[in-house]
Amino acid sequence: MRKLITNIIVVLFALWFFQSGVKPPKETSADFQLNAFAHLPVKYGGRKKPIDTLARNFLTVLSDKQSLRMADRKRITATQWLLDNISGRPEAMDYKVFRIENLDVLSGLGLEERKRFRYSYRELLPNLGKIDAAVRSAHGKEDRQRDLYDKQVIKVANKIFFYQNMMASFEDPTAIPTEQLMATVQRYIRLENYSIPLVIPRTPGNPRWRPLMSALLASHPAMNAVIEGHDISVDPLALHLNAMLAAYRTGDVELFNSELMEYGALLQADTPSVFEKLSFEVFYNRLGAFMKSASLYLLVFVLSLFGWLFRKEGLVGAARTLMVCAFIPHTLAIIARVLLSGYPPVTNLYSSAIFIGWAAVAAGIVIELVFRKKAAGMGNLVGGIAGFTTLLIAHFLSGDGDTMEQMRAVLDTRFWLATHVITITLGYMGTFVSGTIAIFYIFAGLFTRRLDVETGENLYRMMYSTTCFALLLSFVGTVLGGLWADDSWGRFWGWDPKENGALMIVIWNAIMLHARYGRMVTPRGFALMAVGGNIVTAWSWFGVNQLSVGLHSYGFTESASFWLMVFCASQFAIILLGAVPLRWWRSKQ
Amino acid sequence: MKWIVDFFLSLKLTVVLLCLSMVLVFAGTLAQVDKGIWTVMDQYFRCFIAEIDLYVFFPRSMDIPNIRIPFPGGFLIGWLLVINLVTVHWTSFKVQVSGSRRIAGIVMLLLGILVTVGVMFGWGVAPVASTESDAFWRVFLRLGRGTLAAVVFYVACLLLYRKRAGMVLLHGGILFLLVGEFATALFAVEATMTIKEGETINYVDRSQQLELSFTDTSHPDFDTTTVVSGDVLKNGAFIKPAGLPFDIRINRYMINSNNPQPLQKISESLRSRYPQYEGYGSRLYVAALPEVSGAGGARNAPAVDVEFFNRATGDSLGRYILSLWFYPNFVNRSWDMPTNIAVDGKTYTTYFRFRREYLKSPSGNPFSVQLLDFVHEKYEGTQMPKDFASQILLVNEGDNIERELRIWMNNPLRYARRTFYQQGYLPDDSGTVLQVVRNDSWMIPYLSCMIVFVGMAAQFIQSLGRYLRRDA
Repeated sequence: MRKLITNIIVVLFALWFFQSGVKPPKETSADFQLNAFAHLPVKYGGRKKPIDTLARNFLTVLSDKQSLRMADRKRITATQWLLDNISGRPEAMDYKVFRIENLDVLSGLGLEERKRFRYSYRELLPNLGKIDAAVRSAHGKEDRQRDLYDKQVIKVANKIFFYQNMMASFEDPTAIPTEQLMATVQRYIRLENYSIPLVIPRTPGNPRWRPLMSALLASHPAMNAVIEGHDISVDPLALHLNAMLAAYRTGDVELFNSELMEYGALLQADTPSVFEKLSFEVFYNRLGAFMKSASLYLLVFVLSLFGWLFRKEGLVGAARTLMVCAFIPHTLAIIARVLLSGYPPVTNLYSSAIFIGWAAVAAGIVIELVFRKKAAGMGNLVGGIAGFTTLLIAHFLSGDGDTMEQMRAVLDTRFWLATHVITITLGYMGTFVSGTIAIFYIFAGLFTRRLDVETGENLYRMMYSTTCFALLLSFVGTVLGGLWADDSWGRFWGWDPKENGALMIVIWNAIMLHARYGRMVTPRGFALMAVGGNIVTAWSWFGVNQLSVGLHSYGFTESASFWLMVFCASQFAIILLGAVPLRWWRSKQ
Repeated sequence: MKWIVDFFLSLKLTVVLLCLSMVLVFAGTLAQVDKGIWTVMDQYFRCFIAEIDLYVFFPRSMDIPNIRIPFPGGFLIGWLLVINLVTVHWTSFKVQVSGSRRIAGIVMLLLGILVTVGVMFGWGVAPVASTESDAFWRVFLRLGRGTLAAVVFYVACLLLYRKRAGMVLLHGGILFLLVGEFATALFAVEATMTIKEGETINYVDRSQQLELSFTDTSHPDFDTTTVVSGDVLKNGAFIKPAGLPFDIRINRYMINSNNPQPLQKISESLRSRYPQYEGYGSRLYVAALPEVSGAGGARNAPAVDVEFFNRATGDSLGRYILSLWFYPNFVNRSWDMPTNIAVDGKTYTTYFRFRREYLKSPSGNPFSVQLLDFVHEKYEGTQMPKDFASQILLVNEGDNIERELRIWMNNPLRYARRTFYQQGYLPDDSGTVLQVVRNDSWMIPYLSCMIVFVGMAAQFIQSLGRYLRRDA
């Protein structure tokens, strides 16, 4: 009875936790209909998405956040931030969104270091020339010769270009004098070679998605004079959108709302299919399931830790229910991503992190189910901490914008993505789960009296089982990867860094199992090796990508290499700790 | 004698060998930061004794002495593992059944071998195989064939080894995979084929080997080409090719060279030390570069500095620089840069190029490929490629084949023991580049993957089940 009541309370708590933030702020007819505006379609990066997603992605690229906090602690949404900018409201220039952390770059720009490192466009404006010069000099160097300053300057400059391109693609060219028209046309053609938001959907009359500025320019009255035989194609969609932005700039609520309604109605009449999936995606964005699940997993971990150490079964049971409650939205959000992007769940580093976390929590639930009493909450502990950390990693990986990007042609084979990538990712997960259990084994033995003979045996068994499955999955995943390569360019095994990384996981798991079969290690030795498995897997997951750092990527990868080093060092430290003589362990076995 | 058997019988040896292979793979991965994939493969993996460069383990900014550490190479570790595996299984996994069960087991084993051979050599697969529909089914079908063989073998193992069936099967699968990879390392051949739109090509470029080619075009009906293999192009070598009226002295062989630059753009100090070349070398600057790394995806562009001598008179015919950059198929370029050498009134069109191999079907008849159309799609509003496809016409008059086929990403054409993959394209989408691979053991990974999977899954599920039942 008590158990049932606890479970109900836990479920209600989870429900309350997940619903917060889903509902948009209340809007009356006297307010701008920002919610409706957020649902408008736009094509960017080859994918159709709602303005809401575009705004969140852009804000994330600039400031690593999905909403903006003003000086008076008031929050404004990404959509409002975008609208303030593209409509040309003067206060938008003062929004502090450019994240610049490097102190040398800041002092070069004559800016003070400040809390949270966010700067406004107006603050950067006087220094654009300096940035330009610094970037030119950085680009003039060979990649390997670039120092940290060069890379940071490039990073900042990329943000500025990105912002300028965004602003330019919503420009209003109707007031441009005729003699500047040709130059503008050329500038727009250049701009269209970059990735810019294409906000005017394809209509029966026009087969391509277009950016606003080009669509407006085509209906410029003077275009007739400039290009012979040009038929003024007044684009009603572009005109409505432009009127909408102008009304927003001047604060004319009524006009904005009516233009918005007409824009929507026109689109609905022309191409109703353009609205498909959009409100679903907005809902997905607002739910923000991954970060919420992450917080709950952390709670699961803390509860289970107490429950496990002090053998409180009630606490462990409640944590288990909570884990399942967080697991369901996590699962649904992954399914939503599959539906929205049309790709299998793992396509890039971000989604691999989300998926590894999901699979680790699933493994935790399976451990709880399979080992029942013997697990005593170990499944919760593993699922909680693994779910929390991987989702946190995913959060930091989402910095480069849309996480549902389209795939390049070589990678675009859904069959291989669905088989190879998922199996190999599950293999990573298995190795991590085994390594996590091993860490609990070492800490519990060293610092507490909790690791008695029976617990030790059970943990050993869990590590062994997960290692077996990790070997199976990583082997099959690695071979499938080879088959993919064979099917794509006829080379099953090319000793390519990524392949080698996967192979090392397979070999390491094989070493562990053979050492066990040959009775070369004790349970404790096996646990130490399992922690070593964490290092091997982290290397394969992230380290291999860092190898080519000198050659093509900067930015986040640098901080990723740093964290990778920290992680490996911590795992080595744990191995050393675990290797101290048994008489120093508090648990006597 | 006994100690040898004991040595190979030990699981400790397995663990030690696996640990060594781990170090080797790690070093081989790090080495790719500076070196090309093929160099790394020869230096680390496809050899009996590898030489590990000490510096690979340190950041490149540190000044590490250039020391090479001898280490067991990929072939040595692989073969020791094979011997270890076979001995362990031979002695500790004895067949313990007898009578009709044993006979049934052996029959199943033979059946399994038959299925495997059938799958490997493509029994029941069309001679010209390209895909019209999704890649999905084709790959599933292959894995399905592998699973069929695996299940037959598993039944055989169950009959012969009872509880240890999974263990035996999975190690058998690993053995098969290792042997297959060894065969691939020795026999597989990779080449490319560059075809402009509308053009018909009947040869491939063997991109791992080079040759000097001299074509005499003086005869009205046919051309005569003489080639000098890239293996003999060593610094200081003096070559007297049969069939040519001149000798060749190799002044310098460069493993990698720069993209040729106009000579007037080069600084005065470099230009003053630049040799006096004839041909392109008189206008273009070609200099040696360090070898490129594998991680960057760039390729080496070898070049040779040569001097020709009239064999009859011994007079110099001039000093030339011949770079792979001049060969259009290397740079995916559509214009040609031949070097012409005149001797005794004849002109020889000269290239330093990839080794050329003319295409033949298994029946010995030559065949050719014509590119009808090349398609390159991008995602709307981006420069990101979405799809590449080549529409080709395959013609083999001797075998009476004339088929129009489509080769696109992940959907190769399999014909004449070769596989043609879409690899790249010429500028402005004016032509296609196909990767052409000949590897007769390509089905082995499909088979061994499923064999290991079935064996491992059976074994683990069995042992987990036993553990859970014991305590229930």
